[in-house]
Amino acid sequence: MYTLSDVTKNYRKGDYTVVALGGLDLSIEDGEWLAIQGRTGSGKTTLLQMLGAMDRPSAGAVRFSGRDLAGLPEAELTEVRAASIGFVFQTFNLIPTLSAIENVETALVPLRIPAAKRRARAAQALADVGLSDRAQHLPSELSGGQQQRVGIARALVKEPKVLLADEPTGNLDVDTRDEIMSLLEKLWREHGLTLVLVTHDTSIAERAQRVGVMKDGRLFTGAEPDDAS
Amino acid sequence: MFFLTYLRRELRHRMRQALIIAIGLGVGAGLVVTVTAATSGISNAQAAVLHSLYGIGTDVTVTTAAAVPKSGSGGLGSNAQQENSLSVGDAGLLNASSVTSISHLRDVAAAAGGFTLTGISLPSQGSGAERPAGAFPIPTTFSVDGVDLAHLGLGPFASAKISSGRSFTASDTGSNVAVVDANYATAKRLTVGSSITIASTRFTVMGIARQAQGGGSANVYIPLGRAQALTQYQDLSSLTGRIDTIYVAATSASDIPAVHKEISKLLPAATVTTSGDLASEVSGSLATAASLASDLGKWLSIAVLIAAFAVASLLTMAAVGRRVREFGTLKALGWRSRRIIAQIMAESAVIGVIGAIMGIALGFGAASLVDAIAPKLTATVPPSFASGNTNTVGVHLAAHVSVSAILLAVVLAIAGALIAGLFGGWRAARLRPADAMVQMQ
Repeated sequence: MYTLSDVTKNYRKGDYTVVALGGLDLSIEDGEWLAIQGRTGSGKTTLLQMLGAMDRPSAGAVRFSGRDLAGLPEAELTEVRAASIGFVFQTFNLIPTLSAIENVETALVPLRIPAAKRRARAAQALADVGLSDRAQHLPSELSGGQQQRVGIARALVKEPKVLLADEPTGNLDVDTRDEIMSLLEKLWREHGLTLVLVTHDTSIAERAQRVGVMKDGRLFTGAEPDDAS
Repeated sequence: MFFLTYLRRELRHRMRQALIIAIGLGVGAGLVVTVTAATSGISNAQAAVLHSLYGIGTDVTVTTAAAVPKSGSGGLGSNAQQENSLSVGDAGLLNASSVTSISHLRDVAAAAGGFTLTGISLPSQGSGAERPAGAFPIPTTFSVDGVDLAHLGLGPFASAKISSGRSFTASDTGSNVAVVDANYATAKRLTVGSSITIASTRFTVMGIARQAQGGGSANVYIPLGRAQALTQYQDLSSLTGRIDTIYVAATSASDIPAVHKEISKLLPAATVTTSGDLASEVSGSLATAASLASDLGKWLSIAVLIAAFAVASLLTMAAVGRRVREFGTLKALGWRSRRIIAQIMAESAVIGVIGAIMGIALGFGAASLVDAIAPKLTATVPPSFASGNTNTVGVHLAAHVSVSAILLAVVLAIAGALIAGLFGGWRAARLRPADAMVQMQ
């Protein structure tokens, strides 16, 4: 699915340069579940942005299904995000003025699917995450766990090739965290997704097939979860 | 439909901010409507004043300075037994043949002569022995305009509307008939058929006329030939064939400068005045109001509009700033920048329409208020023109909201909102999904 070769990402901060990723190499297979751990500032989010076609590397190649995302024009990157990549955010990032089902629909709007079909698929996605009875509720009327379920439904409604999750349980209590992780795992298996999940939580990382640890802009894979600290 | 749903929800969610922006735009647009209406009302009042001073249809007037200062006027003091006498104004005299010469000029549609006299009426007082000690009779004056009956459409009489009786006809040329101003008729208890005496000559009132906007230039109108024939006062015996004003109509408004030039060449000693020149000489509160409307009103409107546009832009950009997470998420989901910009522009356009409606309502309200509470304005023409007398007329200011003012308000409000939307859209377009994610985290 992904092949990252010598990927570097630098940021200018005033007079000095911050190296977020320093010559990172990584391969992710189709259908694999990779968990990425690391300290704050180690480059986890930056790596996720590269994988999600949300930013371009300063150097190196990010190959996704054979295409180098680094060399694509912005319009094509947008299309890749629209059709092939699903995101789940730590802070849910639901549109506050739209209902649950409308939030799920926002992922289908760029695909120009007819309104009726779009609504039907959104309804099914909500049903898959167990929230059919909350379809018309606004995010402010949902609990944290329910909001994250809507976020997951939004990420999966487009039937993406890959699901990227940035601390999906970071804002949830322990019980809800387990609930969400069980849901993600279930969907990963059912849909045959490629899942890349960033987390601080070792217990969550242990559920993945492979764990990578970010340190000083580089990723060390095959390490035990205990080495993440 | 998703677009409209999102649009509706967002506007409802940010109702207070949307209303603030709309009110700002509405105030700016409303001020433009009000100033435009007031300016239009003032222009109409000025035009009416000018028309009442030298008549509708007159584009150019020709006068001349007096050659010899007049020694006294009205016969006052010259003959204690003289009860009615006449004097000319301070303007000089022109030959009536000049009217014919001017009418033959290339860009002249018509020319007419006119004469303004002042009648002085001294109440009969008997012999000196019968006059009570310390009691002196108080003379009354009234203005008399000699009207060129061949060109009733030119000159101050042109804007008079007959309210009773009849107007002049060509057959009245040699008759001692008069048309009296309605206000003067009321004051003197004159009706159709009454007699008035001008320089000891009896004239029959055959009509009573109203002048637009507070009064014309004369109390009494008589045929020009009869005015010229009145020679009560010795110095006036040379009035035959003389006039003091020539009223000229150009073939079109664009020919007025050419007419001015041609007449100045024909009569180098004459004072040639266009309607524009006269407008610039009109003083009084009307002129002050015109100056206020065009200077202060215009710049105030511009300043308020700029402020409204700036506030709208800042608030819209601030709103986009608060929605970085939202727009970043949409970009991460695959929304193109132009779709997000279209959303922002649509929200701004709706706010602009609301602002336009508010502006029109405010404009109408303010114009009505101007109509209701505006004081009566005055317009004063200095004595160098037409009648030779200072002429002050009262004018009621009526603010008129035109269709073009309404359209201007709509355009300004929506344009202001769209400009604000462009700023917001520009900021949204510069967002990268990655930047939004960082902020969101």
